[in-house]
Amino acid sequence: MLVLAVRSLPVRRLPFHREVSAMLIAQVIVNWLLLGSLYAAVALGFSLVWGIMNIVNLAHGAFILVGAYTAYWAFTQLHIDPFLGLPLTMLLLFCLGWVVQYVAINRVIRAPFLVTFLLTFGLDLLIADVVQLLFTSDRRSINTAYSGFGLTLGTLHIPFDRLLAALIAVLLTAALSLFLQRTRTGNAILATGMDRDAARLMGIRIDRIYALTFGLGAALAGAAGAMLVELYPFDPSQGGVFTLRAFVIVVLGGLGTPWGALAGGLVFGLAETVVPLLPGIGPGYDDAIAFALMVLVLIFRPRGILGKAFYA
Amino acid sequence: MNPTEPRSGPGALSEQRGFVSTQPATVSNSSQERQQALLQVDHLESGYDETRVLWDVSLEVRRGELVALIGANGAGKSTLLATLSGLLPAWTGYIRFAGHDITHRRAEEIVRLGLSHVPQGRRLFSALTVEENLLLGAYTRRAGSQQAIKQELEEVYALLPKLRERRRQLAGSLSGGEQQMCAIGRGLMSHPELLLIDELSLGLAPQVVDDLLNALDVIHREKGLSLLLVEQDVQIALERADRAYVLENGHIVLEGTGHELLQNERVRTAYLGA
Repeated sequence: MLVLAVRSLPVRRLPFHREVSAMLIAQVIVNWLLLGSLYAAVALGFSLVWGIMNIVNLAHGAFILVGAYTAYWAFTQLHIDPFLGLPLTMLLLFCLGWVVQYVAINRVIRAPFLVTFLLTFGLDLLIADVVQLLFTSDRRSINTAYSGFGLTLGTLHIPFDRLLAALIAVLLTAALSLFLQRTRTGNAILATGMDRDAARLMGIRIDRIYALTFGLGAALAGAAGAMLVELYPFDPSQGGVFTLRAFVIVVLGGLGTPWGALAGGLVFGLAETVVPLLPGIGPGYDDAIAFALMVLVLIFRPRGILGKAFYA
Repeated sequence: MNPTEPRSGPGALSEQRGFVSTQPATVSNSSQERQQALLQVDHLESGYDETRVLWDVSLEVRRGELVALIGANGAGKSTLLATLSGLLPAWTGYIRFAGHDITHRRAEEIVRLGLSHVPQGRRLFSALTVEENLLLGAYTRRAGSQQAIKQELEEVYALLPKLRERRRQLAGSLSGGEQQMCAIGRGLMSHPELLLIDELSLGLAPQVVDDLLNALDVIHREKGLSLLLVEQDVQIALERADRAYVLENGHIVLEGTGHELLQNERVRTAYLGA
């Protein structure tokens, strides 16, 4: 319904449309690309874990939270820049993910969906509460020396931190894709995702592959968290929001390739940046629009924009 | 193992035993034979969850042998292979391979000992290329053995030239015959001593089956690779096999050389439609 309204309204309101200058359109597009890429980082680890392990990890947002607070803690206590500290945050989250997988997830890996839902939901509550215990529920934000600075081209403004975050997000997507496609271990991960018994027959230790996959998923969530806390104020209640967004993004973009997360992130970003500016829509509908898009994608292209038929 | 213990159960053909013996050799021979046996299976029972599929299965594959396993749908052939390669746990019994007790080993370990399983339905990694599939077959090789892996790859390509043409193609896009080639090539990449092949010819054109069998002949004869072949085309299997076993309802009911079984009245009526 909403999307239909989007299509019909600009025609009726043509006079308004003319007022929108070229620069404003360019700014909206820049904002969209920056946000969409960042969303790719939010969904990347979620997509990997879902695609390979067939687990919808409801604790994904909790990992983002831990990443955000790790970066916050490192910045305020150790004065490590969140971007420079990214490898450290990712390493810590990788270890956390590895342990969680080995201790908890491995026990339910072949269990029905509901069991993994319950387990990861429980983990989400547990981790988020520990974070709240350690950092209280106050909103936190990071202000670096370069916060607020950016590239300016005429009236076009590109903030440094957002640009950097978007670039890192695209870089992580490309790195994950290359790792999966070009390395022996990456191929073993893909093979395990496609056919676990055949992978075992190749001599692939699938318990290790799952631990590695889950660790990578957590590390990528941590990276997203560290970048988010630099851009937005953060509090421990936000984990669930990002789990939900990651879910929508992955459904939009499709499983089976990291680039699906980027495609989904860009589509999701569209709903938040471009659509609210269309005459007659206004802000506040972003979630409704994103979910409407998700429903459309599920109807017309159930495997997602870039999704592969993964379990052939 | 008690050599006088009768094999019994539904479908057992005791009257046939005088002609094609299912009894183990006498005690004096058996110790010699056991030294030669690459794969030794004693009184194996296995199945899925609560359902027992294999009952007291004993068989062996000696070094350099091509052994065929025949039987109707649902007889337990694939279950047997899956239990041997460690995909399914053995319930009771004993499996010995190349001097190792592998009864309770996991699939990931068993392939490292030199037992490679080409599963029914090929089970290729369909979204990966042919070459990536083959290289995953060599996953057990140490990281330092790039040269050996490359050489193995060249040998597989020499044996199955179609795969070289298709190396950059996704495995899922291959024809059935090419997929079977890829699966066999992948199974060879771990440099096995024993290759288990489940339903080589199922759904393939006769010409393709001939090509595959000829390729297997080459590695069987020239490299001395031992083979345990599950095959629904009984004629093809028995013509080529050194020895063969007939599995019925989870029991081994007959064993003998390929030619003995081809002559066997029971096999001829039940499996060859004669």
